[in-house]
Amino acid sequence: MIDVLGFLITLTTYIGIYLVLSLTLTLEVSSGITNFGKVAFYGLGAYTGALIGTYLPLAITGSRASPFDVNGIQLLYTISKSNPVLDLSVFLLSLAAGFAVSALFGLLLTYPIHRVGSALVGFTLLSTGEVLRLFYLNTEPLGESKGFMGIPNPFAWLPQARGAEALYLIIVWCFVGLTYFIVSRIMNSPLGRILKGMRDDELVALYAGWPTPLIKSKVLALTSGLTGVAGVLWAYYFTSINPNMFTPSLTFNIWAMVILGGIDSIVGGVLGTVLLASVDYAARFVIPFIGTTLVTPDYLRWIIVGLVMLVVLLKKPEGLAPRRGGVSKL
Amino acid sequence: MGVKLIVEKVTKRFGGVVALNRVSINVPSSLVVGLIGPNGSGKTTLFNVVTGYYTPDEGRVLIEGSGRVVDITGWNPNRISRLGVARTFQIPRLIPSLTVLENMLLFYDYGSCASITCSLRRKWVDVEEAAVARAMSILREFGLESIAHKRPAELSAGHLKLVETLRGLMSDAKLFMLDEPFAGVESWMARKLTDTIRKINREKGSTFVVIEHRITELLEGVDYVYVLHNGSLLAEGKPDEAVSDERVIKAYLGK
Ligand SMILES: Nc1ncnc2c1ncn2[C@@H]1O[C@H](COP(=O)(O)OP(=O)(O)OP(=O)(O)O)[C@@H](O)[C@H]1O
Ligand SMILES: [Mg+2]
Repeated sequence: MIDVLGFLITLTTYIGIYLVLSLTLTLEVSSGITNFGKVAFYGLGAYTGALIGTYLPLAITGSRASPFDVNGIQLLYTISKSNPVLDLSVFLLSLAAGFAVSALFGLLLTYPIHRVGSALVGFTLLSTGEVLRLFYLNTEPLGESKGFMGIPNPFAWLPQARGAEALYLIIVWCFVGLTYFIVSRIMNSPLGRILKGMRDDELVALYAGWPTPLIKSKVLALTSGLTGVAGVLWAYYFTSINPNMFTPSLTFNIWAMVILGGIDSIVGGVLGTVLLASVDYAARFVIPFIGTTLVTPDYLRWIIVGLVMLVVLLKKPEGLAPRRGGVSKL
Repeated sequence: MGVKLIVEKVTKRFGGVVALNRVSINVPSSLVVGLIGPNGSGKTTLFNVVTGYYTPDEGRVLIEGSGRVVDITGWNPNRISRLGVARTFQIPRLIPSLTVLENMLLFYDYGSCASITCSLRRKWVDVEEAAVARAMSILREFGLESIAHKRPAELSAGHLKLVETLRGLMSDAKLFMLDEPFAGVESWMARKLTDTIRKINREKGSTFVVIEHRITELLEGVDYVYVLHNGSLLAEGKPDEAVSDERVIKAYLGK
């Protein structure tokens, strides 16, 4: 028997986390920030969450076990089962820390670059994501290639696993709502107009009196903070993370969602995300049943996602073209 | 009130090219002055230096208004703009995805209402209302109400230049620097532009520096002229004096 409800809960959780990522990217793109390093902030959030979620409970209960060996993982599980207050506190602390770390990282990393030239930001962020991944991969206290495995489920103490899943889903969607609120409020305000102006022609925005490097970095700090929260949500949902989850392909997946829906449009981005995340997830779910060995499941997933993009954009190419202008000569 | 613009021995080099060579000009408050010179003589570069796009290699730029002198050398364009200096570009630059009205609003000083927190709390509604009222009244005053909701791509060259000039009024600019406002503009529109400049100058006392390399177009509209040639100030004076200057004639005829 296939567990339909379980499938739906997992799917909507998955979509929810992706929505936080794509909504923030929509705001970034509409501000002229080419964030090719979404995964950097996502991973940073996930690792911050994992770090707190594993080391902290062990430390507080006075255990000397490592979060990477069987004893430690077992102990973490027991703590989360028996100590709801600690379990939840650790989760909430992780959310706050995930936001703060990613936001601060975004601000400090990009402000100097935004001042020099915005064109460099995309590439800096792209490579930063990779550098971070290699850092996780080679840092012992972060579990190296195996990553963290004992991240406690924040609702593990509930008697019913299904209830824990449902509660977690609600939490994820609260953050989707919050992100949607933030992104749409900003995009539909005078600041949103300034951001749009900045994207189309940064020099004009500068001449209009706006300190564009600072504004961009502040926006990126906010969106990166939320991206970090998405990372924490992912870590606590999956309860294990490893460097392989944070490859650049994740960034491009989110870009694909936003482009698919139509850059500049919040609703479009949401639709693109729901569509691609569903296709992606369904493929993840179905491919193992086909049992193909010709191509690995991951490649097959990518091919399917690519096909969907191709078909949609052939039918609705306006999704692809952001309006750009500006004349290079002064 | 207008402001006085003082450029002191400004030099700007690009590699081997000396685009500006110890240029000094002194534009009195509330005057409309012309800046003329052949192609490549450094006119736009001077605007870029004054408005903060470039930092001069040598020399200083000062703004004097209401008894205060501010040294703006090395300031960023956004700060200089907030001080009341507006510029236009040789090729008009409006934000293509925004309407004329929205392009005007971009130049309004929303202060803290442009912050993220203000946006989230939607505290900007009153300020926005004031900004829209202001923009519409400016557009109305200059007979441009009908294009308020058009996008730049739908406008003629003359309208683009006009809007680009008028957006400076959104921020109460006291010094307007217009780079070839008449280029590619039909003659009736050029007249409208001249009238607009005169009107703003008369009513607000704003100072204008207007670039034009076709001398005749400009001369009737200005009080004083500076002539640049190869990056140096060649001559200055009343329009008729400046054009009859032998060196100026020579420079324009090439050699
Ligand atoms: N960014 C730059 N890099 C290198 N050289 C430059 C740069 N900007 C201007 N120049 C050079 O400086 C000189 C002055 O150019 P500028 O654009 O100021 O002339 P202009 O008087 O505005 O000419 P036009 O009438 O054609 O607009 C030219 O020789 C030009 O090639
Ligand atoms: Mg020029």
